[in-house]
Amino acid sequence: MPPDRASATDANRASLFADYDLGGFFDEVFDADNHVRPHYAPLLAGLDRFTPEDLVRRARIRDAAFRSQGITFTVYDEGEGIERTFPMDLLPRIVPADEWQHIEDGLVQRVTALNSFLDDLYVGEGAAIHDGIIPIWLVETSDGFNREAFGIPVPLGARCLVAGVDLVRDGEGTYLVLEDNLRNPSGVSYVIENRVAMTRVLPTVFANQQIRSVDHYGRSLLNALNRVAPPASGDRPTVVVLTPGVFNSAYFEHVFLASQMGVELVEGRDLVVDDHVVSMRTTQGLQRVDVIYRRIDDAFLDPVVFRSDSTLGVPGLMAAARAGNVTIANAVGNGVADDKAVYAYVPELIRYYLGEEPILPNVDTYLLWDEDQRSEVLDRLDELVIKPVAEAGGYGIVIGPAASDAELEACRVNIEADPRNYIAQEVVSLSRHPSLVDDHLEGRHIDLRPFVLSGGDIEVIPGGLTRVAMQRGSLVVSSSQGGGSKDTWVLAKGAELVVDSDAETHDGTEPAADDVEELS
Amino acid sequence: MLARDAESLFWTGRYLERAEDTARLLDVTYHGLLETTPAEEAQAWSDVLAAVRLGRVFAEGRRPITAASVSEYLVFDPKNAGSILSAVEQARENARTVREQLSTELWESLNSFCLELRGRNLRADLEFQPHELYGLVRRQCQTVAGVAAETMARDEGWRFFVLGWNLERAEMSCRLLSVRYRQLSPSAFHQWMNTLRSASGLEAYRRTYQASMDPADVVEFLLLSRTFPRSVLFSLRTAENALGHLALDGQLTRPLRQLGRLRSGLEFSDVRELMQGDLGEELRQVEEGIRQVAASVATQYFSNSREFDLHSLHLLPGEGGGR
Repeated sequence: MPPDRASATDANRASLFADYDLGGFFDEVFDADNHVRPHYAPLLAGLDRFTPEDLVRRARIRDAAFRSQGITFTVYDEGEGIERTFPMDLLPRIVPADEWQHIEDGLVQRVTALNSFLDDLYVGEGAAIHDGIIPIWLVETSDGFNREAFGIPVPLGARCLVAGVDLVRDGEGTYLVLEDNLRNPSGVSYVIENRVAMTRVLPTVFANQQIRSVDHYGRSLLNALNRVAPPASGDRPTVVVLTPGVFNSAYFEHVFLASQMGVELVEGRDLVVDDHVVSMRTTQGLQRVDVIYRRIDDAFLDPVVFRSDSTLGVPGLMAAARAGNVTIANAVGNGVADDKAVYAYVPELIRYYLGEEPILPNVDTYLLWDEDQRSEVLDRLDELVIKPVAEAGGYGIVIGPAASDAELEACRVNIEADPRNYIAQEVVSLSRHPSLVDDHLEGRHIDLRPFVLSGGDIEVIPGGLTRVAMQRGSLVVSSSQGGGSKDTWVLAKGAELVVDSDAETHDGTEPAADDVEELS
Repeated sequence: MLARDAESLFWTGRYLERAEDTARLLDVTYHGLLETTPAEEAQAWSDVLAAVRLGRVFAEGRRPITAASVSEYLVFDPKNAGSILSAVEQARENARTVREQLSTELWESLNSFCLELRGRNLRADLEFQPHELYGLVRRQCQTVAGVAAETMARDEGWRFFVLGWNLERAEMSCRLLSVRYRQLSPSAFHQWMNTLRSASGLEAYRRTYQASMDPADVVEFLLLSRTFPRSVLFSLRTAENALGHLALDGQLTRPLRQLGRLRSGLEFSDVRELMQGDLGEELRQVEEGIRQVAASVATQYFSNSREFDLHSLHLLPGEGGGR
């Protein structure tokens, strides 16, 4: 390596990581002694060739490309819709193969149990309730519990056709399940678009890495949807994606999924039910629909059964599903299983249905209707995290150590008024990852949402959405709360071997760092 | 394909053509008038408003008919749904609802066009560099058309896109002629040139008719040319071809029959006869015919499905027996 080159790269790393402070947290890149973890070595070596300004410029190119491609979500402010891009941090998060195997095993186990629980509840005997695993009143008081879903079959019991399970790592680096998303988990489009963007903005950092691809998601999703089609629909069932429409904040993702699968993206007004058969209005008349991947909440799905003021849904849809003429995915009523109070019972449900110990533990959770637990929680309110059970997206969360006295008092009043509606959890010291802040790297808290597909076999997409809390010190990483994302690399088995040979690869013969390909 | 998607593609085509035609019209009018009297100027701008069928609406706003007021109204007035900016926004909104039917390149070229227009200071553009602005609109519309032609499969979606595009073009060309033909005396060389230029047809015209400025030649070119893609006849043939592909098994649908009659009327016309008769009335009938075709397309394809009465739905299995 020519000496001037060596000093330039050292200088780059020095300025990128200037004053980088582990802050006492578990850091994904550096161990406690400030040594680079081996699976990050090739990436950091690749990054040495960039100055901080290079990275900032590339981040801007990515933003401009996402905007012109319309990879945006809509934020509504006083009735005005503003299209925003979801910021992507340029430093990818890397998960080694053995860690991923552990995650994958844990997710398959968890989603299998959750599917069993939902099938047991809605079309089975309610065995878990009869056997005292979970109290019936808890199930019945869940906002996500839907009596209307009783008796509606889902082929293969694949009720959580798409699950997004949020994972975090604690101070020791242990992966914990933070929450399950079993209704309409979103974000998978960013998993795929982030990867595409990375290969274009920073192509050289992919050198010497064996990263598992994520772009087969559309095919896997379509396969799963085909498998849950009603038996009578034949070899090539008609699958559609049902969207609330262009004003929905996740509209881009709905478009993305329909086009990845090559199926129609329909709105409620495009569908019609007659004699328990669902059809879509086409230019050539009505065409029968067999499977609906819906991205509309239960409450808006069918005005005959649910909210009668919903214009997004399809009158008669639930009756058609009950008659077995159409499959709705994800299944109606799944919200009961991702209720944050029911979450506390998932480890028991895994033991009950599978006879196995949970591979991925829960975060320690307190149930507030229990008087002993409640009084302990109320004593330690300023040390705990309080969450409403039915909210998603980080809304309504009170983080004790960061809350004002007034907020804690309001929280106390809310809990005492409706203890069923809240849970308390120990504060998890979330792991951190270096992220580009202005022109240098700082540690930011992250989580991980892998996507799990059920359709007979359970498939976990290798990767997922790593979300970054962009505010210094913030523990809330939801995209609704001003977070960003990272491309997430799962290394192929055996990929670690490549790490050792890395030293030889950066000899200055690779293309110059500034030949950025414009995104298109 | 979904009826709603077909309709969105149809309108994407229409709005893009509308934006392009309006830009052309404003461009030649503005630059053709730099050396004329105020009276001629006012006449020319009210002709422009008539050509885009916004004369009455504009008059209701009690604005003076000047280059600045008409241009602002037709370029970016948010109250004018027919302004260039509104048309491009609506083209984009329609495309966004059918985005999964479009190639990434097509969506991206339309989206960047819209974002660029939004980001510009259009008022300053109009004041200091109107020609650049109109050129930009024209080029971007042509880029979108080119990207569409190069990347879209020749499936139903493409046919509806082409259909909307060409019906709009035919209607606009027809109105342009209606507004202009009365002023076309052989001596009005200036107006002739501008009329042809606004249809981007000056060069093509000269290759066919050399330096002739016989009114009949210009009318024949803009109305009946079989080779010039912006003539009324050519646009209608293109639209008819698209409709023909949309009709299953060669079925003669209502819009296809209407369009076929309209097109063949023009196809077998003689321009000298038209000029001796009432050309204004003839043009009005063609324009009306185009609007009827568009209405029939909507009935045939966009709202053709049976409507269901909520009360007649059989909500439980087995109830009512079914059909």
